[in-house]
Amino acid sequence: MKMNSYLRKVVTTALLAAFSLVCIQMPAMADIVSTEQIATEQRNQIQRDAVRGFLDRADVQAQLEARGVDAADALQRVDSLTAGELASLSEQIDTLPAGEGALGFVIGLIVIFMLLDIAGVTDVFPAI
Amino acid sequence: MGKNILRCVGGIMVMLWLSGCVSAPQSDALLTHFSQRLGASPSVALSARIQLEQVPFFPQQDFQCGPAALATVLQASKVDIHPEALVAQVFVPARQGSLQIEMLAAARRYGRISQILAPDLEKLLEQVQAGKPVLVMQNLGLSWYPQWHYAVVVGFDLPRAEIVLRSGLVRDYRISLALFERTWQRAEHWAVVLLAPGELPSDEREDAYFQSVSAFAALANRDGRAIALAYEAGLQRWPTSTNLGMARANLWYAQGDYDSAVLAYEAIIARVPDYAAGHNNLAQTLLDLGRLDEAKKHAERAVLIGGSFSENFRITLDAIDSALGL
Repeated sequence: MKMNSYLRKVVTTALLAAFSLVCIQMPAMADIVSTEQIATEQRNQIQRDAVRGFLDRADVQAQLEARGVDAADALQRVDSLTAGELASLSEQIDTLPAGEGALGFVIGLIVIFMLLDIAGVTDVFPAI
Repeated sequence: MGKNILRCVGGIMVMLWLSGCVSAPQSDALLTHFSQRLGASPSVALSARIQLEQVPFFPQQDFQCGPAALATVLQASKVDIHPEALVAQVFVPARQGSLQIEMLAAARRYGRISQILAPDLEKLLEQVQAGKPVLVMQNLGLSWYPQWHYAVVVGFDLPRAEIVLRSGLVRDYRISLALFERTWQRAEHWAVVLLAPGELPSDEREDAYFQSVSAFAALANRDGRAIALAYEAGLQRWPTSTNLGMARANLWYAQGDYDSAVLAYEAIIARVPDYAAGHNNLAQTLLDLGRLDEAKKHAERAVLIGGSFSENFRITLDAIDSALGL
């Protein structure tokens, strides 16, 4: 019994502490654009530029055309890639070892993103 | 006899093919550059030889090269820490190794900014020349049979085409630049320097610096003065950096110094009049100061420009409108 009331006190205190924390944090919800938001935005931009730079390469465009994808179309659709897709693509491009095979793999990935879109599985390239 | 010759030629072909696969383009370019410039002019960007003798050495135990290498660069940056204290933070027993992301985070916990370098061998050596040991990851095996390893670059010797590492059980481990490049390349050219707040990296990438510092600042309970030092050092190097300026102003705002924040936001939008986030944050700060009419003007401007943070802008404008009783 004694234990129970002690426990109750602890729980009540913990709950109160949790609520007061929530209250204290409310003003911090002010709508300035936070430094984290700015950093995330910049990271996306860096990755977008990397993917664009990749699609700008003549050898890449040739491979895309060979797979029946219009290079200009692909370039235009970089804007609609989600943060996650951008990250995975730009990482693949970053770590691309020299050699035709690896290049083909990344281009395959881009084409797959586009095909899945047409099939209605994903919605990366709404313009298709 | 003829069979032997054939076998021999075949062997040579395989060797040539293999060496073609494992080229070290950056080392080649760098060494060619170096030998040419050495003849032409005495003022070369890179010295012939550098050795950072004062960088400590922790012989690693078992697979624990991660904690050992991290302690090496932390101590070189004047953080008194030993590998044993880092094991629990970065060593993953199941993988018998440490993850890169944990290495970066652990350095931040000890008050250092971990900055990832560009995948450029010459830039890496420049850091060493500037007195900074560089934490690197290597794949000592092959891409399909990896042997991950962390080491610290502490010197180089260009006439002998060598690089010097604190690595494993060897204090001054000398290997050829080309071999280092191949092992480093297989680990995606991962290289990191640690910066004390206020210290700048010896490279010119403002975006990389901002990324490193904002990750450093995002750590909970971080001392505001350390963050301010890091932003201000960056702003001295890149005085017109919008992102660093915003970060500095946001810090003033978070610390309740609204007057300084207002001045800083105003300076940013004076330089970049269409920077919506600047207008928004200025509006919010003016609202907190009770300067509602000015606040509304900037909030409307932010909503009008729009962009990635439109949601923030809308909320700010609504808050100002309700404060105005609209």
